[in-house]
Amino acid sequence: MRTILNAENLTKTYRVGKVDVHALRGVSLEVQEGDFVAIMGPSGCGKSTMLHLLGGLLTPTSGKIAIDGEELTTATDAQRTDIRRRKIGFVFQRFNLFPTLTAEGNLRLAERIQSSNGKGDNAELRRELLRMLRLEDKMHHKPLELSGGEQQRVALARAVVTKPAIVLADEPTGNLDTENSAIVLNMFQELNYRFGQTIIMITHNPEAAAMCRRIIYMRDGHIVEQTKGALA
Amino acid sequence: MKTDGIYPKLIWTREASNRFESRLQTAVLNSDCTCRLKAVLKTMESLIVANIRQRPLRSLISAAGVALGVALVMLFTGLSRGMSNDLAKRSSNVQAEIMFTKKGSMGLTSSSLNLDVEYAKLLKEIEGVQEALPVALYISQGKRGFGFMQIEGVDWNAYSKLNNIQLTSGREPKEHNEVVIDATKARDDSLQVGSELELFGGKKYKVVGVYAPESRARVKMTLGAMQEIMESPSKCTYILVKCKDGVTQEIVARRIEEKLPGNKIQFTKEVFTGIEKQIPALNTFLRVLVGLGAIVSALVVMLAMYTTITERTREIGILKALGASRGFIISEIVKEALLISTIGLVSGFVISYISSIFIHSAYGLLFDFSLGWTITAALIGLLGGSVGALYPAVRAANLDPVNALAYD
Repeated sequence: MRTILNAENLTKTYRVGKVDVHALRGVSLEVQEGDFVAIMGPSGCGKSTMLHLLGGLLTPTSGKIAIDGEELTTATDAQRTDIRRRKIGFVFQRFNLFPTLTAEGNLRLAERIQSSNGKGDNAELRRELLRMLRLEDKMHHKPLELSGGEQQRVALARAVVTKPAIVLADEPTGNLDTENSAIVLNMFQELNYRFGQTIIMITHNPEAAAMCRRIIYMRDGHIVEQTKGALA
Repeated sequence: MKTDGIYPKLIWTREASNRFESRLQTAVLNSDCTCRLKAVLKTMESLIVANIRQRPLRSLISAAGVALGVALVMLFTGLSRGMSNDLAKRSSNVQAEIMFTKKGSMGLTSSSLNLDVEYAKLLKEIEGVQEALPVALYISQGKRGFGFMQIEGVDWNAYSKLNNIQLTSGREPKEHNEVVIDATKARDDSLQVGSELELFGGKKYKVVGVYAPESRARVKMTLGAMQEIMESPSKCTYILVKCKDGVTQEIVARRIEEKLPGNKIQFTKEVFTGIEKQIPALNTFLRVLVGLGAIVSALVVMLAMYTTITERTREIGILKALGASRGFIISEIVKEALLISTIGLVSGFVISYISSIFIHSAYGLLFDFSLGWTITAALIGLLGGSVGALYPAVRAANLDPVNALAYD
C-alpha cells in the first residue's frame, strides 16, 4: 500500500499583532492509499490549519509534507499549485461552487484547470460521476437551483473528477441537515470503499467521524489520540 | 416538471431553458459539420461568458466605456479625413499653379480682401504667365453653426475656363444678388436653379446656375458682388496664376518675386493640401485624442474589472484551491476584459457609422473612415481593455487563497 500523504513534525505559527499564535505544534501524520481519515477536535485546535497545510494552501513554519511522493514544503508557490492541481481535491463546508456555472460546468472548469492548457474535457466521466452521485437530472442546474445536499455532492464530484490522489474535506456536512449529511457521507464512503479514494475529512460530528476508517483527535495543535472508525 | 407551490412557472422556465440550451449545445458538439459553432458554444459555456452574463449592467457599462473611446477616435479622425479629402478634391480642380497674396496674409483661412486687383494686370505681363485671376474669398460658419462655408467672388467666365468647370444648368452670375453653386451643394441642400440662399447673415441670393466638377468654394458670385458686400472695391484675397505650357512654376515664381518683391508666392499644390496642414497641430490634436480614447477605455475597464475581482474574491480563492495557476487566473480575467472590449469595439464602430450618417444629414459635415484609423481604434479598444484589466488580474492572482476563501 503506497503512502499518499506524509506529514512530519508540522508547526504553524501566526503573528497576530505582537503575539505569536501557535496553531500547530509538531503534528505528524501518515495516510495510506485508500484510507478514509476523520480529524476531530474542538474549535481552534488547528484542524483547518492542518488541512490548509496538507493542501498546500499554507506553508508550515517548520516540518515536511509530501503528497504522493512529491515534496510540498520545499516547493515554490507555482510548484505547490501544480501539485494541488494534480494530486488534491477539496470539498468545503460552504460548497464553494461557481454560481454562474451549471453543475456540469463546475466540473468542466476543474478539468480545464487540471489540464492547464484549457483542453481537458471528459464528458463521459463527468456524466458518470454525476449519475453515481444521483445528480444526472441536475447537471444543467446552477448552484442556486440546487439544495444544500445537492450542491455538496456537486462539490464532491468536482473534487474527484480530476482523479486526485487525495480528497481533503473541510466540514463537508457543516452546512447540511441530518438527512443531507447522511446522503453526502454515504457518497464519501462509497467513493472510498468502491473506488479506493483516499480522503481526509475534518468534522465536528462524531457520527460522521464514525463512518471513517480512522479517527484522529486534535487538541491545542497536537494529535492526542487515534482510533479506528466503522470502516476499519 | 418540478414545481414549488409558489412559482411553478418560473421553475419550469428555468429548467426548460437550461435543458434546451444543453440539448442544443450537445447536438452541436456532436455534429461534425459545425466546428466553428462548437468552439463558440464551448466558449459560451465558459466561466468568462457566464460572468459577463451574470453582471449584464456592469458588462454593458464597461463595453460602453470602450465604445466611447473607439467612437471618439473614429468620429474625429473620420471627420478630419472627410473634410480634408473634400477640400483636397475640390482643390485638385484648381488648375492654376501659383497663388499670389500679400505678405503675412492668412490666405485661405481669412476673409480679408487686402490685395489690389491691379496686381493681376502686372502678373499677366510677366513672362511665362498665361492667366492671373483675382479671387475674393469669404469664410463663414457652416450649416447650423458647424464647420465652415466658403464663398468666392470671381470672374466666372475666366475662372471656369481656367479650371475646366462647366455649368450643368442655368447661367453664370451677373447681378450682385446672384450665385452659382456646385453639384454637391445642390444635391446635399436640395437646391436648384431658381432656389434662394441666405448668405452674409440673412441677405438673400438667387441660385442662377449649377456647375461641376467641384472647385474650391461651393458658392461663387461675381467679384464685384463680393467686393461690394465686403466694402472693399478693387480688392481681392489672392490671385491665381496659371503658368504657360512648358514653363515650370518655380521659374515663374522666381520671376514674380523679382518683378513684385515683398509679396507671398505659394504653389497651389502645397496650399490646398488639406485641413490637417492648414490647421496647425491638428495631427497632434488627433494623436492626443487617440491617446485619451485609449486611456478612457483602459480606465473604465480597469475600474469595472477591479470591482468585479473584489466581488469575486472568494471565487478567486476557489480557483486557487482547485490548482489554477497565476497565469490561468490572469488569463481568465484578461480574456473577460477582452471579450467586453470586443463588444465595446464593435458597438463603437456601429455608433460611429450611424452617428456620421446623422451628423452629415443634419450639418453637412463629411466623414471618411480609413482602414488605418479603424485598425488603430480597434487596437485602442482591445489594448485599453486588456491593459486596464492587467492590474486587477495580477492582484487577483496574488491573493492569499486561505483569506480569499474566507472572504464574504
